[in-house]
Amino acid sequence: MERSLTSQQSHAVFPQPTAEEASRQDFVRSLKLHLANKVSTANKLAFEVRAGRDYMAQTGKAATTYQEIRDAMKHEPYFTFWSAMQRNSQEMMWKACQLPVERQLPSLIDSARNSEGAGGTLELNPELETPRYHKAVDIHCMPGGYHTEFADDDVANGAVYDRAVYLYAMGRMGECNSDIGDTTIAYLKEHFPALKPTRILDLGCTVGHSTLPYADAYPEAELHAIDVGAPVLRYAHARAESMGKKVHFRQENAEDMSCYEDESFDLIVSHILVHETSHKAMRNIMRECRRLLKPGGVVIHAETPPYRDLPAYDAFMLDWDTRNNNEPYWGASHEIEPAAIAEETGFDPAKAFEGYQPSAFEAAEAKRARVFQGGDFGGGGAWYVWGAVKD
Amino acid sequence: METIKLQQKARGERPQYLDAEVEKVLSITMALAGEVAVMRERIDSIERLLEKAAVITREDVGNYVPTAKEHAEREAWREGFLDVVLRVVTQEKEALEEMARGMESYDEAVKRVESAD
Repeated sequence: MERSLTSQQSHAVFPQPTAEEASRQDFVRSLKLHLANKVSTANKLAFEVRAGRDYMAQTGKAATTYQEIRDAMKHEPYFTFWSAMQRNSQEMMWKACQLPVERQLPSLIDSARNSEGAGGTLELNPELETPRYHKAVDIHCMPGGYHTEFADDDVANGAVYDRAVYLYAMGRMGECNSDIGDTTIAYLKEHFPALKPTRILDLGCTVGHSTLPYADAYPEAELHAIDVGAPVLRYAHARAESMGKKVHFRQENAEDMSCYEDESFDLIVSHILVHETSHKAMRNIMRECRRLLKPGGVVIHAETPPYRDLPAYDAFMLDWDTRNNNEPYWGASHEIEPAAIAEETGFDPAKAFEGYQPSAFEAAEAKRARVFQGGDFGGGGAWYVWGAVKD
Repeated sequence: METIKLQQKARGERPQYLDAEVEKVLSITMALAGEVAVMRERIDSIERLLEKAAVITREDVGNYVPTAKEHAEREAWREGFLDVVLRVVTQEKEALEEMARGMESYDEAVKRVESAD
């Protein structure tokens, strides 16, 4: 009764859906595509012909910042209905991904327990305290977040997340969901061609979607990855072993990586981690990166573009997730200025950098509309990267 | 074997966009639309199997794996299905397009407001 998927790469712990479960997931993917391509696009029109004009009539000025546009759109019926549907699509996505995981969880846990093949390791730390910013709300509405455990040696939310990311991105991050890692690597190879790392650390790796590409891009390097969630790490380890990629996973908080020695890494990377932390946490993380990096080492974070680089309307749409998709630090994290945070955390601000890299995923499906439409987090067809080089 | 239940509700307050009742009805309607699509694909599997064999079992249907071509056909069907089910949403979009045709452009309206200040 198992059905293999042609579009997302399977592996030893992949939650194989039945025919019906696959249909349910496919529906969510179609719904998300429909909302992104056919419904969300007219939010701008609703702003221009109705909400924006009402705002002008009431205030005597045009809504020009993303906050003003948000005020103007608050009661715009086309937008509120789209928002309600978008939120529903997110909830339906988690449900559709949970069902096959619930059905086969004991066997997934067994597979994870017996994973081996690539020589990677897994070190869990049950004493580690889950940071407040992950306990307060379940990030992007995934029930239980990255850390909640439902059984002994649980991998459930790793399995749920693996499939949900594929549906959320509507398949546009490739069959291994590796687009952000691939794209960051492309930026590094172009801008730091001399960098030949011997030890790499990936922060907030979850199930390793963005971690594994580094094993191929820098085959001489020892690859380490950390996360705060045990279920995602067990899953990440089993997935990596099954896919033949050697990674050393540890359960750690990137704000305090005292398990690693000073100046022990040449390259520290993170992918869509920043927006899931907090103002204070991000500064702690940068200080720790500075401590861990060797002189000349690089820390790089991949994210969606900062609001200052976007037209106000696009920033408003990208900001939807802050309040509507349980991403409390999303908005503020998009205001980070690399040179400023570098200076605050001991780096030379002149050695901070930022830039854009076109999405590495080049399949025909990636030819998306170059417009941010909420729920389309790589919507510009490019990822924003920022970071700093240690003196 | 006892099923391990995962957490169903995400921690955090759920934003409300519409009247509470309408919100629930929308969620139920979208979930039903999803189940209609699931059922339709099951029928599609049955039809395709029956084209090849006179007798089929429930297991055959549950095991059915669509080919890439069939998968694409189903995707196209779902797109058409959503066009039909969400027709009223598209209708409002068309009304907005109609409104836009009858008025000065938004940029002109902004200019007018700003020059009047």
